[in-house]
Amino acid sequence: MVSAESRTTCSVVEGEIVCEMVVNGEPMKGVAEPRTLLVDFLRHELGLTGTHVGCEHGVCGACTILIDDQPVRSCLVLAVQARGAEVRTVEGLATEEHLDPLQTAFHEKHGLQCGFCTPGMLMAGTALLERNPDPDEDEIREYLSGNVCRCTGYMGIVDAVKTAAAARRDRATTNGNRA
Amino acid sequence: MTEINNGNGRQTRYVGTRVPRVEDRRYLMGRGRYVDDIDLRGMLHVAFVRSPHAHARILRIDTEAARALDGVVAVFTGEDLADVPPFVTAIARDDVKPVTRRVLPSDKVRFVGEAIVAVVARSRALAEDGCELVEVDYEPLAVVVDPEEALRPGAPELHEDVPGNNIAHIEMENGDVEQAFATADVVVTKRFRSGRVIGAPLETRGVVADYDVGAGQLTVWTSSQMPHFVRTMIAPTIGMSEGTVQVIAPDVGGGFGLKAHIFVEEALIPLFCRRLRKPVKWIEDRIEHNLASAHSKGMIMEASVAASRDGTILGLKGHYIADSGAYSIYPWTALIDPLPAAGCLPGIYDVRNVKYVVDAPLTNKCQTSAYRGVGMTSGHSLRETLLDDLARELGMDPLELRLKNCISGEPYRSATGLPYDGGSYRECIIKAREMLDYDAFREKQAQARSQGRYLGIGFSPYVEPCGWGSKGAQAIGFPAQFYDTVSVTVEPDGSVIVSSGSSSHGQGLFTTLAQIVADRLGVKIEDVRVVDGDSTRASYGFGTFASRSAVVHGSGAFRAATDIRDKLLAIAANLLEAHPDDIELQDGQAFVKGVPEATVPIAQVATVAYFGGDLRPADQEHSMSVTRHADPEPEFSNGIVACTVEVDIETGLVTILDMASVEDCGTMLNPMIVEGQVFGAVAQGIGIALYESLEYSPDGQLLSATLMDYLFPSSMDVPHIDTAHFETRSPHTENGQKGMGEAGTIGAPAAVLNAVADALSPFGARIDRSPVRPEDVCNMVRGAVVAV
Repeated sequence: MVSAESRTTCSVVEGEIVCEMVVNGEPMKGVAEPRTLLVDFLRHELGLTGTHVGCEHGVCGACTILIDDQPVRSCLVLAVQARGAEVRTVEGLATEEHLDPLQTAFHEKHGLQCGFCTPGMLMAGTALLERNPDPDEDEIREYLSGNVCRCTGYMGIVDAVKTAAAARRDRATTNGNRA
Repeated sequence: MTEINNGNGRQTRYVGTRVPRVEDRRYLMGRGRYVDDIDLRGMLHVAFVRSPHAHARILRIDTEAARALDGVVAVFTGEDLADVPPFVTAIARDDVKPVTRRVLPSDKVRFVGEAIVAVVARSRALAEDGCELVEVDYEPLAVVVDPEEALRPGAPELHEDVPGNNIAHIEMENGDVEQAFATADVVVTKRFRSGRVIGAPLETRGVVADYDVGAGQLTVWTSSQMPHFVRTMIAPTIGMSEGTVQVIAPDVGGGFGLKAHIFVEEALIPLFCRRLRKPVKWIEDRIEHNLASAHSKGMIMEASVAASRDGTILGLKGHYIADSGAYSIYPWTALIDPLPAAGCLPGIYDVRNVKYVVDAPLTNKCQTSAYRGVGMTSGHSLRETLLDDLARELGMDPLELRLKNCISGEPYRSATGLPYDGGSYRECIIKAREMLDYDAFREKQAQARSQGRYLGIGFSPYVEPCGWGSKGAQAIGFPAQFYDTVSVTVEPDGSVIVSSGSSSHGQGLFTTLAQIVADRLGVKIEDVRVVDGDSTRASYGFGTFASRSAVVHGSGAFRAATDIRDKLLAIAANLLEAHPDDIELQDGQAFVKGVPEATVPIAQVATVAYFGGDLRPADQEHSMSVTRHADPEPEFSNGIVACTVEVDIETGLVTILDMASVEDCGTMLNPMIVEGQVFGAVAQGIGIALYESLEYSPDGQLLSATLMDYLFPSSMDVPHIDTAHFETRSPHTENGQKGMGEAGTIGAPAAVLNAVADALSPFGARIDRSPVRPEDVCNMVRGAVVAV
């Protein structure tokens, strides 16, 4: 039953706030209500649907992104809180030509099945490797313990992070030698 | 049966090898397209008012204030949808009562979380604001949450058409069970309550519907494992023909069986879309998911085993009472847990005297559904923990007891009528014993005990029905037809499209089906593209569940590719002036055996098929597309999950030390994917054994609706898992493969539970429930009896 009050046009709701932030190195702008979650802003206002919503209460980690290099659950942050921030999401990891070493390792080590936790895992894994280039298995498991994967039993994911760490070190060595 | 070391000795190029998945790239780049990623111009959003009562009459619904809210476009109640035909869950058995469910109830609610009113608004937030303004007056009714209570005379009744609440009472007996028990030296009995759990894929359910008024065409995107079947079901509900409805399961973020059903929301969102002539979206939030999608595996069970003093099992009895919830889930019915649990009562053991009873009473809780392993998980935990009890009773080693009663590897018909197609039942047990270094562990365990530390070891060998074709479903008690179709098309440039009735949601079917077809046609895997999960673009099928895609879709793909191969051979033979029998297809080339210079690219053969004029043999039609069906005989994978644990008797904490999984799924199409399925399934089994439980209060309130209360195993809880493989090819499938993917969830809980009981054997511990949480461990240590 259609309400008599139904609207055919979408007007800007009073109280919406313009949010500007740098996302994956690119300045971006959109509007959000004060209550809009950052993950919803990224997905539905900026069209960056790679970041996923799994629980909306900060447990599953599917929405993990980096804000000013810190891993953050974007379902626990309001869009307005991220104004002026440097945000990194899964869309920023690869170029069309090249996956980054962590993505490549997830592919090689079967670190994903349905792909839904993958963006959050990749961002948490990126944060780990930026802090600790040589994590052991326990450190990897502990760091990723806030990210739920329901498909893989974590085996391929842990293996992939180890593999990527080695690949990153090799690459750093190669670059260092070149320099 | 052969033990496999990384797929050596293969004749084929892709099947049997660790081909990296072709579907990974878009997921890794964040370019997957899940239902919530669909954004249509002018799209409206739905939120539901859900019942706060477990059982109540609806007296009045006032939607005035919600309708008046700025941004709310429409509000729907059951009254507004009175003309919509209800869901009727029925199967072709006289002993199973049909249960009716209106898409929105107008008379009464039957569980906390049942949708009553839908608010449609310009945004999800506004729809939720609208829900806040809906007022519903209820008359609370007596509640029944316990399935045994629900069976008692005088219990509150949920449905007028199911007096007494029980949708089915089923009994089966083979052999002479009473005689077996009367003559036994030992009888051990166990009552076991398996907790309610939930498949809980990381992506919740979600539906988007879009109606094209000009074409009269409805498109529905739903996070489902069975899009064709969703279409078959919802088309009549929304009053359209199947040909005008396209149901698409886009990327699906996990399913685990939960999404292998048809839900009322999958009819409601298209109905709203049709009525409002606007695209409509509903994305389930996590609390809705836990409250109102579907729960699984909760049962009260009792089993007895009769044995002679030497450990020979003489008879088995089981009673399985489902905790069905408020409706009998469409399409499987509430028997989806208890009936497979009962059918698997004998497991891998040679027991001819077997009797079971199944009851499926309705309760004022969320409906119950399939979840990885269905009721076999609970039934298996019951049997395998019972056998460890028996071993302790007899003073016999639990592995010796199992090996003594284990069936041979030959095809075997179980006392419950399941036609096992042969396996490596004994070999898997022996392998697991080696992997965990059993004898050394027993020494370590004894030493630890002398230091006040409690280690334990548990074994859980399984046989798993898989494939879910018509005969397999019938054997388990679900008489209906389940087949699937697969089409293979060679395009003019030689690239290949496989269109399958499957619906991949993480299993890597775009890779495995491409492996099968690429091998058959001699083309490169990158030239094969698989399309599924779409009722219009893909060939008809029942979807992906019950470990069926490798066997059903894999066999269909093999057959269709074989027919197309014959056409390629005929055309190539004409081009190479040879006989088709002498042509080989490999590495994208057609060539005459033994004449390497007589070669033509398969791409060119395809071009000739389409545009070749006289070069195409006159007896070959232009069509380069073939559709074949597959409905294989039942297959049965087997294996074992085993682990060691340490139990802290002060805190009750269980730590898994080593975990081993040995499985035999016939030919492994892709060992990497097989192992990935094992790991994931075992992890979910660990959750079932130790963490996951949906708890209800006596008045039917769900106490674990968030992920703060409902605990998923984390990367800290799931240990490294060692795997080994045996390969007993199925005689019923085209490559010898059997289905797999569920066994870890069937087998792992009992492995963990048996290990805990073994660790706590000095305290006389007996496992009678899952999960076993720290408080349960502490109770066992104290010898406190807490009834289940």
